[in-house]
Amino acid sequence: MAEHGGGRGDSAGDKAREEFFSEAQEIVDGLSRDLLALDEVSKRGGSDAELVNDVFRAVHTLKGLSSLFGAAMMSGLSHELENLLDDLRLGRIELSQQVLDLLFQSVEAYGRILAASKGDAPEPAAEVKALLGALGQVAQQRGGVAATPFTQYELDPGMLGVLTEYEEHRLRTNLQAGLSLYRMRVQFQLFTIDSALDELKAKTRPHGEIITFLPTGEGGDAESVELEILVASRTPLATLRTALGGPNIVIEEVSRRPGGRPDSLAPPATGLPPAPYDDGTQTESGAAAARTSAPPPPPSIPSDVLAAPPFASPAAPAPQAQREPSARELTLRSVTQTVRVDIRKLDHLMNIVGELAIVRGSVAKLFERVRGDEELRDVATDLHRLHRAFERHLTQMQNGILEVRMVPLGQVFDKLARIVRQISREHGKEINLVITGSETEIDKLIVEELSDPLMHMIRNAIDHGIEEKDERMRVGKPPVGTIALNAFQKGNHVVIEVEDDGRGMDPALIVDAAIRRGLVDESDARELSVKEALAIVFEPGFTTRDDVTSLSGRGVGMDIVRTNIGKLGGVVDITSDVGIGTKMTITLPITLAIISVLRVEVAGRTFCMPLASIEEAIVFDESLVRIFEGREVLTQRGATLPLAHLDKLFGLEGHRQGVYMSDAPTPKPPPVSPTGRKPRRYVVIGLVADRRVGFVVDRLVGQQDIVIKALGDSLAHVRGFAGATELGDQRVGLVIDAAALIAEVLASVGEARQLVHEPRVDAGGTL
Amino acid sequence: MNRAMARRPEARGALQRADDLETRTEYLAFLLGSEAYAVQIGSIAEILKPLPITEVPRARPSVVGVMSVRGRLVTVLDLKRRFRVADTTEIERTSRILLVDAPDETIGLLVDEVLQVYRLTEAEVEPPTALGGEQLAYVAGVGRPSDGSVLLLLNLQPLFAE
Repeated sequence: MAEHGGGRGDSAGDKAREEFFSEAQEIVDGLSRDLLALDEVSKRGGSDAELVNDVFRAVHTLKGLSSLFGAAMMSGLSHELENLLDDLRLGRIELSQQVLDLLFQSVEAYGRILAASKGDAPEPAAEVKALLGALGQVAQQRGGVAATPFTQYELDPGMLGVLTEYEEHRLRTNLQAGLSLYRMRVQFQLFTIDSALDELKAKTRPHGEIITFLPTGEGGDAESVELEILVASRTPLATLRTALGGPNIVIEEVSRRPGGRPDSLAPPATGLPPAPYDDGTQTESGAAAARTSAPPPPPSIPSDVLAAPPFASPAAPAPQAQREPSARELTLRSVTQTVRVDIRKLDHLMNIVGELAIVRGSVAKLFERVRGDEELRDVATDLHRLHRAFERHLTQMQNGILEVRMVPLGQVFDKLARIVRQISREHGKEINLVITGSETEIDKLIVEELSDPLMHMIRNAIDHGIEEKDERMRVGKPPVGTIALNAFQKGNHVVIEVEDDGRGMDPALIVDAAIRRGLVDESDARELSVKEALAIVFEPGFTTRDDVTSLSGRGVGMDIVRTNIGKLGGVVDITSDVGIGTKMTITLPITLAIISVLRVEVAGRTFCMPLASIEEAIVFDESLVRIFEGREVLTQRGATLPLAHLDKLFGLEGHRQGVYMSDAPTPKPPPVSPTGRKPRRYVVIGLVADRRVGFVVDRLVGQQDIVIKALGDSLAHVRGFAGATELGDQRVGLVIDAAALIAEVLASVGEARQLVHEPRVDAGGTL
Repeated sequence: MNRAMARRPEARGALQRADDLETRTEYLAFLLGSEAYAVQIGSIAEILKPLPITEVPRARPSVVGVMSVRGRLVTVLDLKRRFRVADTTEIERTSRILLVDAPDETIGLLVDEVLQVYRLTEAEVEPPTALGGEQLAYVAGVGRPSDGSVLLLLNLQPLFAE
């Protein structure tokens, strides 16, 4: 906890810890992706040894790291998991749904442990304890391995003797699957052996699996070594020779022995007690019975019993020692060639770019000053050229920094895939999640804030959208529901769609529910368009479900979704067809750091309104203003547009000073047209997620791309501003939080409406 | 503005030859109106001439606004308005902004004039109880340097926590 406090006085140890946690997070993310892939494979009834291995390695690395940093809970969990995964990759237990569930739960637990380490949440002690218990249970179920007669093959007893347990298992599995076995003898130059071996592995991969490789002890000299490589493959020998062959490579098939005579080197597994595999030990009592009564105590046949005899065989201890490090040590190295950077450092760089932009402005002004001067013509030309070059490089730098901030949406999609799996298992609804565009990139900060809203939306889709299996069959839909998660870039925005093929949303039902909950007046309800009706689901307190499920239906969620997305400068839209499905579309700016704004002037002050939340700006024609229920409104394109005077909203009426300066020139009075009429004013129509408010301003200054900065904590209580930016001339402009202001204005409209309502009722008038 | 009470000690020499055996703490003294205040010099990151400060609507009256210092956004507080000795913010030629590091941001304190640095011995610092009356969290004590001035010593942390 302390290591995340404020970033001051961080010792080297704290920094290392921080890096540990962020590396652990990366590993856990990778783990989650591999598990999802494994889940897919297992759904199709297959298995993927390489994936199981990846998962095993990830957990192994986590274990190493966490014990290094004294993260006891994480290392304890990793230890148990590692055992489970070891059993899995050695084929001692099967990749059942139960095991997969445990693995997914472990990923969740890792996530919570990491959150706890940042001080975001309490340590999930109970959860981890339960998980450890469950992992232990599974370990009880592990069975022995049926012996496969390696004796049928012309294999060198020396080689068989030094196979690790895992290699033995892979060899067995491949032979059982009917693959052919090939032996390659390859000459390697010692100084290139690492890369050459990797190359060969990569070339072999499409054809089969390398079981093991050993130095032959022959054919080598001081500078080279000969390895014997055992490959299991379906590819015919001739093809394999063409694909892999080379001057230093000899490939031959390992032939089967005609009779398969008994061999003393056959794996000793034959002597193991029968596995308590499918005899009812899955139940509590069964397991207990097995523990107490089974004559050869089944609780965990220690892996070394199984592996001991081959290892004990003194056939070739030297090569064994040579091979071990390469496989184990690699796992502790960082996998990717990337640098983790604190996003605040990038913000700092962006600030410097902002400063440089101001310098650029000054250079431009200097150029303007000298350009008219005949004597300085050369200087002016040079200055102009310099300015252009400066500008170009600055833009490149800005884009470069922005690019660094970008991360693929896949980061959050993986998490969602896990949640979909979990929820669909819990509720017995089968869901097929189809993800496209996970490579779409968006600002890191946005990705972090996206996971909660998307999770709400997906939960809603599963709970309210996708029907029960029976119902789906009845209406002729496939029994498995589909949720599509699509992302793509559209101009300066990223669009994310959450689409389900469920029952859809009936606007009439929504309006009914809204009336029952007092969210809408019956009289108003009649005038709602379909789009407006659907948008009611975003109102606080809305729900169509009467029962509260653990998923959603508590009437919270969608309003939070809209608020959170709004905070990111985005909007949510819904389209839905009854019986066909619902599609929610989130549109977000690509980055939070740079936004396009419209500069407006109000009471002598400059404010920036994000263009993303502006529909349009129109000339303010006061003659068209109507007073409706105590509020000023305009009729705009056939719809009522509530108006808000920004000066009143900000309490700026009357005093005209906006910027304090020691030698402040008196602020200019608002421009008065020569005819003496009131100066022309404008209405900027703010639009956030279907809600519109017209903001009356004095002047439109122009459009600009700005670097937005957060206001300090001491201004956290101030509502209505998303941040501030430098406008040049050392001046700071405030950036308006349109979503917050619109909500504020509309809320006060509601109050006004109530006030207007009551006297009418008192007067006994009929509505 | 009456600055008569601001005592600028001419006799700096007296301070210089001060007894080094005693623990001394350095304070930066400044004026708010006609009163002299001081904060420990270690808490001040920088002293700036006023830059343009943009007013933040809806903020507390003690918030002058925000300004940019080399690309960093700084919230500026008017201590006179915070201490309710003034109703409006005035920025004069002598005004300065003291940059101080609050837990999560940089704060600028607007003062009317920066006086000098005092190195006070423990004996020259009276506890806040010396003022009597209600104890204010931001008052750390009263400094009585040998030149005869009276400094209200401020404790800044409570001001940030608001």
